[in-house]
Amino acid sequence: MKQVLEGSHAVSEAVRLARTKVISAYPITPQTHIVEALSEYCADGSIDARFICVESEHSAMASCIGASSVGVRTFTASSSHGLALMHELLHWAAGARLPIVMAEVNRALGPGWNIWMDQSDSLSQRDTGWIQLYCETGQEVLDTMIQAYRLAETVNLPVMVVLDAFFLSHTYEPVDIPDQASVDKFLPSFEPRISLDLKHPNAIGQMAPPAYYMEMRHSIQTAMQSVLKHFIEIECAFEKIFGRTYGPVTPFACDDADYIFVMAGTSASTCRQAIKILREKGHKAGVLKLKMFRPFPYQFIRKYLSPAKKVIVLDRNCSFGIGGIFAQELRTAMYASEKQPPIFSFISGLGGRDVSVEHFFEMFDLVEKADQPEDESVWIGLNH
Amino acid sequence: MMNQSNQTQSPNNVSLLISQSRTNTLGNKTGTWRFVRPTYKEKTAPCTNACPLGIDIAKVEMYASKKDYQNALNTLLMENPFPAVCGRVCFHPCESACNRQFLDQSVGIHHIERFVGNWGLNNISSQLNYPALNGAKICIIGAGPAGLSVAYFARHLGYRCDIFEKSSRPGGLLMSGIPSYRLPDRILLDELQRLNNDGIQFHFQHTLSMEQLKSLKQHYDAIFLCCGDDAPISLKIIGEHLTIDGLNLLHQIRTQKAPPIEGTVAVIGGGNTAIDVARSLLRMGANPIIVYRRTRKEMPAHPHEIEAALDEGIALKECVAPTAIEKKTHFQQITLQIMKATGNSRDGRQTYVPDDNRMETMQVNHVISAIGAEMDIMWHNDQWDLSLSHCQMKQIGDLPVFWCGDLTTSEKTVTHAFASGKQAVISLDVLRNSGIDKMATYFNQCQVGDGPALSFEMYHHEGKRAKLNNNDIVQFDRVNTAYFPSIPATQVKKRSKENSISSFEEVITDFDESQMIHEASRCFNCGTCNDCDTCRIFCPEMAIQWDQENRYILMDYCKGCGICIEECPRDAMDLEVEP
Repeated sequence: MKQVLEGSHAVSEAVRLARTKVISAYPITPQTHIVEALSEYCADGSIDARFICVESEHSAMASCIGASSVGVRTFTASSSHGLALMHELLHWAAGARLPIVMAEVNRALGPGWNIWMDQSDSLSQRDTGWIQLYCETGQEVLDTMIQAYRLAETVNLPVMVVLDAFFLSHTYEPVDIPDQASVDKFLPSFEPRISLDLKHPNAIGQMAPPAYYMEMRHSIQTAMQSVLKHFIEIECAFEKIFGRTYGPVTPFACDDADYIFVMAGTSASTCRQAIKILREKGHKAGVLKLKMFRPFPYQFIRKYLSPAKKVIVLDRNCSFGIGGIFAQELRTAMYASEKQPPIFSFISGLGGRDVSVEHFFEMFDLVEKADQPEDESVWIGLNH
Repeated sequence: MMNQSNQTQSPNNVSLLISQSRTNTLGNKTGTWRFVRPTYKEKTAPCTNACPLGIDIAKVEMYASKKDYQNALNTLLMENPFPAVCGRVCFHPCESACNRQFLDQSVGIHHIERFVGNWGLNNISSQLNYPALNGAKICIIGAGPAGLSVAYFARHLGYRCDIFEKSSRPGGLLMSGIPSYRLPDRILLDELQRLNNDGIQFHFQHTLSMEQLKSLKQHYDAIFLCCGDDAPISLKIIGEHLTIDGLNLLHQIRTQKAPPIEGTVAVIGGGNTAIDVARSLLRMGANPIIVYRRTRKEMPAHPHEIEAALDEGIALKECVAPTAIEKKTHFQQITLQIMKATGNSRDGRQTYVPDDNRMETMQVNHVISAIGAEMDIMWHNDQWDLSLSHCQMKQIGDLPVFWCGDLTTSEKTVTHAFASGKQAVISLDVLRNSGIDKMATYFNQCQVGDGPALSFEMYHHEGKRAKLNNNDIVQFDRVNTAYFPSIPATQVKKRSKENSISSFEEVITDFDESQMIHEASRCFNCGTCNDCDTCRIFCPEMAIQWDQENRYILMDYCKGCGICIEECPRDAMDLEVEP
């Protein structure tokens, strides 16, 4: 049934439909609406879950780790400083191979204090062992959340579903909310491979000396390497029931494109508008939206980007001292590719600043004229 | 403990390797880390410490909040013979000491006691089982609060009791002094049924003099003088004979034998008797004015009683002392000396002296003297063989004679009289069984908190429950208020002023069950484990176990972190240094 839903509530609806058992979160803008709705669902019985109130995001993740260790579906949501505070336990959740699902609303970190959209928070957590999936629309958020549980439980790794602050979290769109029976069919009850059992107490996550530790890390990497395959299978199964699919990357007008923009999140929508206009003017331009960031789906990226003449990357983040993070990852991915189009790195739209169609034209003009990318990322939309 | 890396089988061959032990953690005896140990150590709540009877109030509230009225009643009856009476007439020092007042408002302890007391009256299962008689026999003179209390506790120790009462009814001041709008006859008479036992004999309309006591020796093993203050205190002013005695008037009202009193009535005095008289007169249609030589602040009456009287519209004339009463044709004229504060205080109260020769007169229809009563001079004595906080004893011949109740205590309240009876009975029992030299030892064993109240439970059950004896009183800063959101006290339901002053019906109505549970649930249960399970939930080593009956700590695993003590909402646990 279609409803006009806030992006945040697309997450809440998915958590409800996934029959999540334990929810623990600490409020932080712009994530708060998600757990507000969930706490109401817990209170009015719409969901049979325990809502654990905690004093910090660190404790929220600790609660999820505890609950997930017992073998139940868990959820938390956070953003920005809250996610940063969780950092230690993000490593723990992944290392313990717990299929926790988190909604992460992309928000800038202070100072200056800023509650608006920025990718720095989630990208700072790229090495924690979490799968990261970036969304563009309310519908994609809801669908990805439901898929995330199945993916997490298949590979025993936690999943972070990322959505842009306000542009997505606080925007109302028509969203098709699937019925419970269909979701139950797609996402059966959780059968944990490892869980604590009161009848047979044992310890998990304890000391792993040099003779053991490395194999465990290798196991995480091996599991991570299998994610792409499983993700595609899961999307196929999802499409069969719900008729929607997104892919680890989503190309738009890329087939014959000389210039391909690459980015994650809601900017891709704006970029498609720019592409349509550029195409009308005779420029062969396309856009490749990145959904999956961890694991980095380099196989797909090589496939779509190899034929292009130039690649234009928009990063709404900055790793100080090197520049846009997506650009670095793309360069790494393309390094072993047979054909290596030059990768032009742009940084724009930090701290919630709009990235407009005109900004994409500006990037396009700069790239079209340049033979080689600059050494450093180029900043677009600065107030000079 | 062996660590084992565990590769579990996956339906889709996803690698999963984590550190996981093959066995449980029981091999990891974290108890070896411990250098301090937690213990369940119940402590005395400040309410219990303040209670003249030393009632385990925290426990009563706990049972009451769980609707376990039988145990709530049993806990009350352990220390207090008449909870339905006390719930109505006690001035509840417990509530003034209640730790909850520092969070929001004190728990309405007396309302809960009243509810549980009423429950006892309405439930046959609350009938007491007294033990077999022990062969000893005591004589109690006076069937007022102190005498009834002596009978109750003495019978519990197996003494046969004979009570001699000069009037024709039991109850003493409870029956004749306290107006029925505070204590209805029905409640008192029902509660006195608790003394209905073959081992307790009442002898009404029977007076005894000091001289006759000696002749009782051959019949009794001890005598308890519980006759109270029954000699009205004289105003010592001209025209005193024109006044009506307040206590006598209260008695007449209670027995429906009061003369008609109409018009403006001056009630002289500032104690509870004056308030009782004034409020009773109001209900008889008169217009009482309380005349007191100091101010409201110095009145010895209980503040809530003064407030109730003023709320009902009774006037208070302060800082005037009557010096003479004259009979005029249609009224009586009182000459009043105007008083002024000295700036000095005694016993915490400002003292007053005449303000030079400033006088005034007051014209009224009647004058009531309600400045209290004193001991009949016949009982006067100042040579004691034993002198305690609530009773005194003198051997007359070989017969121990105890002075109890108002004859000894400075605070002349019903509850203190009950406490006096309890102390006297315990004293007699120690005296007979162990001798006077052991008195201090036994009193130490059954002293409640830091005293002076004694616990009959502790004495009778030989100190099996050490809690009440703990002189560690739980202070507010040791209550974990994170567990107690602020909840306002239950609103007391009173009859409207118009309704109240038109009859002698009870002014304050009973709590219904939901109000009582709400109020009892507000109790912190300071120092009393109420099985909230918080310690067990928070123990990081799962060292706290519960087998439905008892909660205990597995010392092999308790690492002494102290989280249980920190979390305990009510200070019922302690951390002790390892021996």
